[in-house]
Amino acid sequence: MGVTCVCQVPVSEGKSVQQTVDILHKKLEQLGAVKQGNFWVDCETYHATGNATGQPSKLLYVMHNSETPLSCMALFEGGPGLSADANFDVLMVKLKSHFQNAKGHKVESRGVRYRYCDFLVKIGTVAMSSSARGISVEVEYCACVIPGDCWNLMKEFMQSFLGSNTPELPTVFTSKAEGLSVPVDCMDTMSQYLELFGRVRKQQVLPGSGVR
Amino acid sequence: MMSGAPAVRVSIESSCERQVQEVSLDGLETYAPPLSMSQNLAKLAQRIDFGQSSDEDEDGPERDSREQWSKPEAEEDEGMVKFQPSLWPWDSVRNNLRSSLTEMCVLHDVLSVLKDKKYMTLDPVSQDPSVGKTPQVFQLLSKKKSLATAAQLLLRGAEKLTKSVVENQEQRRQRDFNSELLRLRSQWKLRKVGDKILGDLSYRSAGSMFPHHGTFEVIKNTDLDLDKKIPDDYCPLNVQIPSELEGSAYIKVSIQKQSPDIGDLGTVNLFRRQAKAKPGSQMWHLKLEAAQNVLLCKEIFAQLSREAVQIKSQIPHIVVKNQIISQPFPGLQLSISLCHSTGEKKNQRASPDKSKPDDHLYVLEHNLHQLIREFHKQTLSSVVMPHPASAPFSHKRLRMAGPMAYDKAEISSLQQSEGLLEKIIKQAKHIFLRSRTARTIDSLASRIEDPQIQAHWSNINDVYESSVKVLITSQGYEQICKSIQLQLNIGVEQIRVVHRDGRVITLSHQEQELQDFLLSQMSQHQVHAVQQLAKVMGWHVLSFSNHVGLGPIESIGNASAITVASPNGEYAISVRNGPESGCKVLVQFPRSQAKELPKSDVVQDGKWTHLRGPYKEVHWGRMEGRNFVYKMELLMAALTPCP
Amino acid sequence: MEAPPVSVMPVTGGAINMMEYLLQGSVLDQSLESLLHRLRGLCDNMEPESFADHELVYLLKGQQGNPFLLRARRSLLHPPAPWHLRYLGQPEVGDKSRLALVRNCVDVSASHGLPEVLNEMGFRMDHEFVAKGQLFRKGGMKVVVSKLSRVLVPGNTENTEPLSLSYLVELSVLAPAGQDTVSEDMRSFAEQLKPLVHLEKIDPKRLM
Repeated sequence: MGVTCVCQVPVSEGKSVQQTVDILHKKLEQLGAVKQGNFWVDCETYHATGNATGQPSKLLYVMHNSETPLSCMALFEGGPGLSADANFDVLMVKLKSHFQNAKGHKVESRGVRYRYCDFLVKIGTVAMSSSARGISVEVEYCACVIPGDCWNLMKEFMQSFLGSNTPELPTVFTSKAEGLSVPVDCMDTMSQYLELFGRVRKQQVLPGSGVR
Repeated sequence: MMSGAPAVRVSIESSCERQVQEVSLDGLETYAPPLSMSQNLAKLAQRIDFGQSSDEDEDGPERDSREQWSKPEAEEDEGMVKFQPSLWPWDSVRNNLRSSLTEMCVLHDVLSVLKDKKYMTLDPVSQDPSVGKTPQVFQLLSKKKSLATAAQLLLRGAEKLTKSVVENQEQRRQRDFNSELLRLRSQWKLRKVGDKILGDLSYRSAGSMFPHHGTFEVIKNTDLDLDKKIPDDYCPLNVQIPSELEGSAYIKVSIQKQSPDIGDLGTVNLFRRQAKAKPGSQMWHLKLEAAQNVLLCKEIFAQLSREAVQIKSQIPHIVVKNQIISQPFPGLQLSISLCHSTGEKKNQRASPDKSKPDDHLYVLEHNLHQLIREFHKQTLSSVVMPHPASAPFSHKRLRMAGPMAYDKAEISSLQQSEGLLEKIIKQAKHIFLRSRTARTIDSLASRIEDPQIQAHWSNINDVYESSVKVLITSQGYEQICKSIQLQLNIGVEQIRVVHRDGRVITLSHQEQELQDFLLSQMSQHQVHAVQQLAKVMGWHVLSFSNHVGLGPIESIGNASAITVASPNGEYAISVRNGPESGCKVLVQFPRSQAKELPKSDVVQDGKWTHLRGPYKEVHWGRMEGRNFVYKMELLMAALTPCP
Repeated sequence: MEAPPVSVMPVTGGAINMMEYLLQGSVLDQSLESLLHRLRGLCDNMEPESFADHELVYLLKGQQGNPFLLRARRSLLHPPAPWHLRYLGQPEVGDKSRLALVRNCVDVSASHGLPEVLNEMGFRMDHEFVAKGQLFRKGGMKVVVSKLSRVLVPGNTENTEPLSLSYLVELSVLAPAGQDTVSEDMRSFAEQLKPLVHLEKIDPKRLM
């Protein structure tokens, strides 16, 4: 578990999602990264049924990450979150009369995992109901847990293959009350993914993306 | 009055002594005429003092005088009761006589009355006629009856006695049973269910998860014949163990050459050792211990066979009946078998290869027992206890894996990496590799005398790693030629060799590799020895190469060569030693000693004859000396002329 | 160090339907020592494990039917340990001769953000209490002897007062659905505790 930064890479002009992903793969392989299996991150949406007041009910997002196979993360957008073991899904099934699973809103990102010394780069295709909507890139620097100490190094590394698409310091870290010297948590990674998935959901269907 | 009794004659005669009136001069005694009856009576009556009682004491002289008179008169007179005052010293005598007189008088009276036959007759007592004439049967019956009554009384008494004795014995036996039960309870878990006493001989309380119940029953041993002597090993308590745990068992682990015939598997049933009975331990203890051992062996075997089936390995393990066979190295097979003998007579099929020496690896059997106990201990460690208390039982760190978002590396470090079977196979591989290495080194040491190979095995080693230090030396020159020292670390599948000069070489499990390596090292040693010897002898090393590229190619390793020059430079020795080709020694002589010297126009000067010239080979086999270095020393000495 | 065998692994995957078998009883404070002695002898040979937990009971009132009840529990002795969230279903109304209370059970261990998330989801805390006592284990059976105390000031676990003069004794087993031998084993174990404490099946519905 190291400092993680998740960003979205826009699809290159005139190219499909798959082609952009392939370009990124090539760049990484040229850099000297080694393929190390696949990864996936998914997110399911639950909303509370039977809200007495007319307020829109808060949405509960339940996310899974192949890096942490025994865990299940539940969070509210901008709100509190928790990480639990896999039985949380069973509990959500029991709660189905109170929380409905919006199946059409399930978003997931799947792709290849590259390792370059202490960096772990995951390039995934974000898909919603099996139509590719975007590209997610996650860069993890495994050797450090304090974002303030290694952000510059990470930015430089990302610039080497992302070029102009390099993101800024994620708001997850800057919005923390204790600042950048606090160790990271798995919830930070998931919050970033949630943000990305939210943006992807709001986007319209990309032209020419087709079925993955 | 008895008839026939000897009569005692009592003579009673009157003394008839009359008073001497006078004694004439001629001695004639004149007796006073006896008193007549009436005169006597009157005289006596005068004497009675009616004023006195008979008991009163009298005056002495009066008494004396009366005494003189009364005695003869008492004897004279029969049948007269006299009232006499008591005369003190003779009173008792008088009384006795008087009473006898009374008796006599009565007898006389009775007899006189009887004589008449008018008022009394003598008649014999009538006898019962049947008494004398009773028949034998009645006598017998009566005797029998009386005997029977007597016997019954005696028997009743005896019965009471035996009952009390038996009760005592019973109590003692009861107490013995209770004390035995106490001893049993101090070592084994017991509980009372209804009216039965059950016990638990399984390892469940020690952390085992084996589903066998392991219950035994405690029963009283009542088949005791009280009449016979109690046998020495009699125990009032007996235990009944489940039938599947009877007998004794052990796990046999052995490595053999792979058997071509697979049909013979699963019949390993050799049984050759009996549990030694510890002195003083009861039979129930031995029985329970044996049953517990059988249960543990069953658990070990069940765990091993479960793992053999579940765990995927390159060469699958074969599980047949009571045997698990796997292949640690090609050409070898490791068999782990559960040998359970129920103690019946030898009607089991004898194993076909009985003559084979016992290749049972006891160490591995012991290790299996230790591993399963270690496994038991894990389930009992407090790491499994949940905090908070409502959480299910699980390993503490595994419970945190979910919430703490452990990644795959952390999770795999928590998971059980190796099962029992894998561990035992690794240990078996290591043992086999170690023994084969030792055998290789020993066979080389016995085969090759020059140079010598020494192996120093370390005392402390691991189940997966051992180490040995191998030294190659020449006899007599150990201090000089010690450049080849190898440290061999024998692992599970490989041997890692660390050379003194820092090189690290990894050898596989093949026997031939190690042998070839050692042979090449030995050949290098010879050449190194020459180098060291040269230093000592003062010779100069001109060239030295561990791996020469010239000459015939060796199939094992490379040949080494060295050239040394004598101190004065006149002679030089070249040595080429190879593992296969052996050693070749050439000596270079100065030109002056060469027999045929080609005449040359260029080299004319005489000083050039001191240079070294042609080479000549040494017949090394004919050199004197017990080993190579010794021979070399002699050669060097021979080529160094004395000043 | 090896992890324990499969039967005591935490429940994962969600495909297994786990049932909780429960027997309950209580014992007065004076008789606690003898009960602990007896349990120490009967249960697995380990050092007695003390615990102190703080449990919060959350209710979610839906439109229809009964409110959904969740129990969230954390350890006061081991603060870094994860929270334990538990859902217990309705007791199985099987045959009356079923010896123990059987109900569906979902156990989730969660990180320390649990109360906030539950609040955000709409759950409201109904009540909380502190349970302190000892934990025993025999094979798969868990015996919990606990003293329940009322929390006087919400959120402050230091200030508590005991609810009663007795200790609650619970014998529970977590097993997949369909295993009938479990209640037999529980019953025979409860028999061995008989004169000290009577463990029996207490239907929570009858108490409401």
